[in-house]
Amino acid sequence: MSLLVGIVVVAIVVFVATKSWPLFQHNGLSWLLGGGDLEAEINKMTAATTKPAASVFHLRAWPLIYGTLLTSGIAVVLGMVIAVLSSVFIVELAPARVSRIVIPMVRLLASVPSVIYGLIGILVLVPFVGNHIITTHEKVSVENVVQLTGAGLLVTVVVLTVMITPIMIALICEALGSVPPSWREGAVALGLNPLRAVRAVTLPAIRPAIIAAAVLASARALGEAVMIEMVSGGKFFSPKPIDGTVFLFEPLRTLASAIVDLRDGIDAPALKAAVYGFALLLLFSAFALSVTGYLVKLPLRKYQTRG
Amino acid sequence: MHRIRRLSVALTVAGVVGVAAPAAASATALITISGATSSYPLVSLLANKYVKLHPKKIRFKITQGGTTVGINNVKNGSDTIADVAQEPSGADAGLTFYPIARYAICVVTNKSNPVTNLTQAQVTAIFTGKDKSWSGIPGATQTGPIQVFTRTAVAGVLTSFKALLLEGKSVESSATEEATEGQMRQEVENAPAGIGFLSNYQANKGGLNSVEFNGVACNQTTAASGQYGGVAVFYEVTKGTARGAAAAFISWIDHSGAAKKIIASQWIPIG
Repeated sequence: MSLLVGIVVVAIVVFVATKSWPLFQHNGLSWLLGGGDLEAEINKMTAATTKPAASVFHLRAWPLIYGTLLTSGIAVVLGMVIAVLSSVFIVELAPARVSRIVIPMVRLLASVPSVIYGLIGILVLVPFVGNHIITTHEKVSVENVVQLTGAGLLVTVVVLTVMITPIMIALICEALGSVPPSWREGAVALGLNPLRAVRAVTLPAIRPAIIAAAVLASARALGEAVMIEMVSGGKFFSPKPIDGTVFLFEPLRTLASAIVDLRDGIDAPALKAAVYGFALLLLFSAFALSVTGYLVKLPLRKYQTRG
Repeated sequence: MHRIRRLSVALTVAGVVGVAAPAAASATALITISGATSSYPLVSLLANKYVKLHPKKIRFKITQGGTTVGINNVKNGSDTIADVAQEPSGADAGLTFYPIARYAICVVTNKSNPVTNLTQAQVTAIFTGKDKSWSGIPGATQTGPIQVFTRTAVAGVLTSFKALLLEGKSVESSATEEATEGQMRQEVENAPAGIGFLSNYQANKGGLNSVEFNGVACNQTTAASGQYGGVAVFYEVTKGTARGAAAAFISWIDHSGAAKKIIASQWIPIG
């Protein structure tokens, strides 16, 4: 059975790599960099339906990679902070009858299909942000470059965070519950107040679980395609922090949401290679995340709790 | 044990026969269609009627994706017919274009912004980005920046819109792109400062303010009489000349009264 799984994984990687080969053939690795007009390049690829010339394959996809890193990075960091604080509250501070209700509710939230978050985002959050939060002055200030419709970085990060935090809370709560209570009681006996005892003893003890939760959440955030496609604004644009608050409202695209947007035109040979290239990059980042998580957990083996 | 084994063998045989028999008996032809989201409602209605008239003989699989996607699919053989909402171009050699209906492209704004009329000059200025504010437009109740919605590059309606209503120019690059007509309608419905363009079928669904172009309203009557300037054609496109079931379907659309009735309900018949 495990051999079969290994074969399937290798088969997927080989398939995606072969389909994306023309992209690497014409660009080397420099398609990961920026500098070109990504929108024009993709339009050229979509229009070139048979035997495209070599110049059509030219691609500089950095705005997509930047968008992916920006949204996933902020969402995971925000989510981790919220998850650790919430879990400590639920397990250590909340009365038992509150935890009994909250933990199943968190598990329920974790199982909601992500497209529902996308629907709420596009039907409620995007119009709200577009009509009530973004000021006319802000819209006018960037109108020559991009339109601020409400769909952009802020809504994407909010929905992504809401989507990945319940899983992290569930994982960390379980880990907190498995730390032997004698450890914390020992710290309290030594004179620490209960909250500091948690910070000094329990949290370091569950570091492997926190890292596992972060890796899981990152993987889910990286792969989130349809939901981000709905709320991210759909423009090959790199939001610039230098723009001030407008930075939060600028539209963007991630690797996964670009795959969703471009999937219909995939019969154009150049576009097919580009889309499979994005997919290959996503595969590699998933593997890299797993490996990093494993490597980071290695020195923490000594904290493995038993029972 | 013995009885269970006999029972399971019997069930398996029954299952295999149950699956194989209908599969062998059905000799239904399959027509696969993909392409424009603007002609999808019309082609779906026509296909449904056709299946009702020829039960068990024909099956349709209709997807969308945009005009360019449909053309690509027909070129590489993955689909039989493409729904196309734009005129044939030089890149379409080897394909046959069969016109089935005409449609009007309407410029629309949000219901809260009841602009009555826009001249050609105003439409060009707004969509190319030269004019960015509603405050200079007579009849507009909005005063802030104009939010321009357009279609993605694969849309036939966009190509036709540029040719017929935008003097051949391109929409500004900062405009928000929508993948389907339905999404275009939804976005303009939700954005008070929004403006966009879509087929008269979608504009008729309500919830939007349809703008007169050069003093002519955008509806079936003005489009049929030739008064309205933004009338384009829906084509069914095949690789080479249409053959077999596809040819029969297209011929039925062009000649039958039932098809004409469907087309005349929301669109404009050819000729």
